[in-house]
Amino acid sequence: MKDWRAIAKASGIEVDNVEPLETLEAAFRPLVNGLTPDVEPATGLLLEEDGE
Amino acid sequence: MTIREAAEALRARRVSAVELAAAANARISRLNSKLNAFITVTAEQAVEEARRADAELAAGRDRGPLHGIPVAVKDLFATRGVRTTCGSKVYAGFVPAIDAAVAERLRAAGAVMLGKLNMHEMAYGITSANPHYGPVRNPWNLDHSPGGSSGGSGAAVAAGMVYAAMGSDTGGSIRIPAAFCGVVGLKPTYGRVSRYGAMPLAYSLDHMGPLARSVRDAALVLNAIAGYDRRDPTSSRHPVVDFIPDDGCSIRRLRIGFPGSFYFDHLDPGVERAVRGVFARAQSLGAVVKPVRVPDVAALNAVGRVILLAEASAVAEPFLEHREEFGPDVLALLDQGRLVPATDYINAQRLRRKLSREFDQLWSEVDCLIAPTTPNTAPRTGDATVRLGGRDEDVRLAVTRLVRGINVLGLPALSIPCGLGASGLPIGVQIIGPAWDEALILRIGAALEDGGVGIPRCPAAEVL
Repeated sequence: MKDWRAIAKASGIEVDNVEPLETLEAAFRPLVNGLTPDVEPATGLLLEEDGE
Repeated sequence: MTIREAAEALRARRVSAVELAAAANARISRLNSKLNAFITVTAEQAVEEARRADAELAAGRDRGPLHGIPVAVKDLFATRGVRTTCGSKVYAGFVPAIDAAVAERLRAAGAVMLGKLNMHEMAYGITSANPHYGPVRNPWNLDHSPGGSSGGSGAAVAAGMVYAAMGSDTGGSIRIPAAFCGVVGLKPTYGRVSRYGAMPLAYSLDHMGPLARSVRDAALVLNAIAGYDRRDPTSSRHPVVDFIPDDGCSIRRLRIGFPGSFYFDHLDPGVERAVRGVFARAQSLGAVVKPVRVPDVAALNAVGRVILLAEASAVAEPFLEHREEFGPDVLALLDQGRLVPATDYINAQRLRRKLSREFDQLWSEVDCLIAPTTPNTAPRTGDATVRLGGRDEDVRLAVTRLVRGINVLGLPALSIPCGLGASGLPIGVQIIGPAWDEALILRIGAALEDGGVGIPRCPAAEVL
């Protein structure tokens, strides 16, 4: 689990409540771990590529 | 009266555009002190525009169904010569030299602009409890939130101040206020409506669309604002069709997906009852209701939140030296977003592509999905949590959980009112369709509306 308070402090950012980041991390990290290298980012959401 | 009815009355000379604008101004004067739906009212300008609209009609120049119709736009759309605050202190004195594409197109269609609508600060939230311009109140019950971020748009349409309003939707911000205020809200496909001149919250999630009194009115507005715009780098050249559903349109034999898992978890019982009633009505109109298993919507929501946090903080970073100028909820989100590493943002965009492909498979099984817009009716202003299915949920996460994922996919979604909860507050149901098929979801919405799905008119205008 990331230490968001330490990361925030190191970045010079004040974060009072890290709970939202912790819950998001818990939901997001397993998804990332399931990615394979062939999946490229949707850097722009151009729906034509799939929609047409 | 709907836009259609007002347009007919205008052409039959039963009413003039000046009279419509004057009536709207009078209603705004009477109700805005209670609802706080408008940040800026452009009453005199509206009467002047209405005068021009009347003169054009008299001279035989008819710009179409929006000609002479009172409308308003969320205060994040740039309006030439009229202050545009984005609901924030950092833009409090900003007077744009241009019109946003949406404002430009509404004016070209002859619509009469009544002013700029209140919203959640920077469009970054769902309550519209704006710390700088005051909270927007729900016209169905002033103690409750109108939803957001386009809360002023929802309240103004529900209270009959304007016939239609423009909103923006990054994680549900058109559909949520539409549901909570009992009006129709349409989030078109990403790229369908130009974002030019609309202040961004998150570039790749922001969608512009109308809130209106009926499905056909929303379609009329979409007809006016849709289409390619070279000034928006993500604007699409996808062909624009006539989006207005035919009278007597049918949904016979259409396959309507019933996403039993996720979308029906942890709902207010009144919401569940009302939405199940919509399926029953659709079946009685000849549609085929098919249970479907949707891809991982919780994953879509997580991906959407990572993208939103990162993009919104990137947009707002130059202003963050003036921390005192932000409300505490927005500042907290902006700070959280600055901690999202670049790798997470890129991986969120990779997951977006993967999940998008999985979701596309659905359209071979069904023509659309129908689901609740929100799991609950409008919470009280200031409530931090909502109790659903025996558990307390953060109000922002609860209210966005059924809508946010669709922004990640960029798909069109239409929220229509479908009932009143135990507290007498409206319930919304959303119709989600394949990319570029707004015409289909509008047809389904219109058929349901014609078939009796709906709620009584908001009593606000009479009782406030």
